[in-house]
Amino acid sequence: MKPILSVENLTKKYKNFIAVDDLSFNVNKGEILGLLGPNGSGKSTTINCILSLLNFESGKITIFNKEMQPNAYDIKKDIGVVFQEVAVFEELTVFDNIDYFCGLYIKDKTLRKKYIEDAIKLVGLEEFKKFYPKQLSGGLLRRLNIACGIAHKPKLIFLDEPTVAVDPQSRNNILDGIKKLRDNGATIIYTTHYMEEVEILCDRVIIIDKGKIIASGTNDELKELSKIEEKVTVEIDNLDDKVLDEIKQFKNVDEATYNSGILFITYKKGKNNLSSLIDYLKKADIHYDKIYSERPTLNDVFLYLTGKELRD
Amino acid sequence: MTVFKTFLQVLNKYKATVIMYTVMLVAFCGLNFQTSESNINFTASKPDVLIINEGEEIGITKAFIDYLDERTNVKDIKNDEESINDALFYRDVNYIVYIKPNFRDSILDNSSNPSEQFEKYISSVDRTIIEIKTTGDYQASIADMLVKKYLNLVDIYSRTYEDEDEIIKHINETLSLEVDTELTSKVDTNTLSRVTFYYNFLSYSVLAGCVYVICLILSSFKNKEINKRTIISSMDYKKFNMKLLLSNCLFAGILWLVYVALEFVLVGSVPNGYLIIYLTNSFIFTICSVTIAFLISNLINNKNAINGIVNVVALGSSFLCGAFVPMEWLPDFALTIAHILPSYWYIKTNELLKGVEVFNSVSLEPIIINMLILIVFIIVFVILTNIVTKLKLKK
Repeated sequence: MKPILSVENLTKKYKNFIAVDDLSFNVNKGEILGLLGPNGSGKSTTINCILSLLNFESGKITIFNKEMQPNAYDIKKDIGVVFQEVAVFEELTVFDNIDYFCGLYIKDKTLRKKYIEDAIKLVGLEEFKKFYPKQLSGGLLRRLNIACGIAHKPKLIFLDEPTVAVDPQSRNNILDGIKKLRDNGATIIYTTHYMEEVEILCDRVIIIDKGKIIASGTNDELKELSKIEEKVTVEIDNLDDKVLDEIKQFKNVDEATYNSGILFITYKKGKNNLSSLIDYLKKADIHYDKIYSERPTLNDVFLYLTGKELRD
Repeated sequence: MTVFKTFLQVLNKYKATVIMYTVMLVAFCGLNFQTSESNINFTASKPDVLIINEGEEIGITKAFIDYLDERTNVKDIKNDEESINDALFYRDVNYIVYIKPNFRDSILDNSSNPSEQFEKYISSVDRTIIEIKTTGDYQASIADMLVKKYLNLVDIYSRTYEDEDEIIKHINETLSLEVDTELTSKVDTNTLSRVTFYYNFLSYSVLAGCVYVICLILSSFKNKEINKRTIISSMDYKKFNMKLLLSNCLFAGILWLVYVALEFVLVGSVPNGYLIIYLTNSFIFTICSVTIAFLISNLINNKNAINGIVNVVALGSSFLCGAFVPMEWLPDFALTIAHILPSYWYIKTNELLKGVEVFNSVSLEPIIINMLILIVFIIVFVILTNIVTKLKLKK
């Protein structure tokens, strides 16, 4: 199956600064691809290059098996974009805003009206149709921003950090809406620096840093890249250095630290790590409050690959 | 239609501004028409005159005093130096005539050269028969004219007749002659003045309305993020820009039509020749205002700054170019600066038109030149807008 979007050897420079460095990837039909990376890693620049909003030094972009050009209107008609910044008219109501942006693609009034209603329903703005943007909260404004970008029912959707500065209720609503879009057959490219969203939403993830792809694959494939398999956190009032040294010698332990009453242990691959630890603490008569185990996150993968936190 | 429909929706949000500029136009013109109510009847102006006769009030002296009494407001002021100087200083009188004791004798004694004698009357150096003091103002000039007129007649008739009564009789006969005056101009100057004032003020309303509304609308459409959405949409960006341009031109055209219709309601019609030029001139100026608005909106995309810019551009140029006050009242340096503004050439055309009696190549030439200068302004603004747009795209 041919990919819906193909990026080959894309390079974009701002004078001497290389923002996107020989980037290549494909996006398959019906998947949600997460572009994960810290601020300034080149995610938005990549999207702007794909959309022909920016000129680039080298590379080739193919969408729907056609080369993307600034005047490739037959390709553009099936693309929807939701930018990081809210792009709506202050002077128009929620309905009129969606109507305008949808009208740039759909001329048929009846069809457009149906599409607008669908978009409003998708983002949950039914009660705010006649509201002006200044009357909406930040979260509702973001939902309107999404509705304006996807109302024309595009086949390929770019969502550039759509949940920045959004309240939890609106975030859940937005994430549910994105899942519905995928279920309706759309292919989605989702850029964010929130790893939790990527883990919930994306079928495949590309991690970008300094304009380069440093890892790609499914969530599980990426987590495999990390040398740790399990993280255990224990709340202990007092822990002397001798005990900590003994824990460090346990089988599969990668690292153990104790700070401000929290014992944090990372394990390499292995089984029964948590139960072994609990047994040891009982035998040593060490009282603890809470103990829990976690799988490694994409942040751990990023930390392992780059030596820095995703949100640094 | 999507672009045009949205244009109208955004315009609807700024209709209050358009209404405000229209109300200002109507209110100021209405006020001006009320205060400058004029007609073509004339009334002779009477200066305040003090007559100090140092001789006997008989014969030609009495006739001269009676003449002045009839045509001026003769004042009664104490005959001492201080009172007279005070009266002049405080403008209680505009003109003082001292009739010397030998006034009558000198006139009747025309055996010598009468012409030379007359020169002596009116000469301020020779104060032997008449002496004058004036405030030097407009009223004093009228009084001076009256005195010179009488003495001139005295000179003419004293050469022909010897008898004093005969001289007085002929002078009075001449002074009583009246001539009917008829204004031959076919133009209703009063209406023309009003129309000129209206169209001059219209330059402010059109410029401010166009710049304010078009800049606000374009700042919405050309908002960086909204513009990005438009560029990535399936609508041809050139077509989109063309639709936006046509929508703005349509708005300006309708604004012009409304203002022209208001002129007919407020002032009434003027002869066709004048009307065509007023309409053409104001239409060219409206297009010029649109190009100015496009240039400004390309330079500035901040809605908060637009209000200040409108004041600087529209109010500033209207004050400098004579939209609110007649050009002749403006200082020379203001008019010199105004040459670089389109409003100046627009208003100058209106003012020239006001003074035109007959339309021919001589009267139309400066008007056409002014309109061509306005068109040059339009071309310059379009070129500048293109340069700014290209620079922004490169950036």
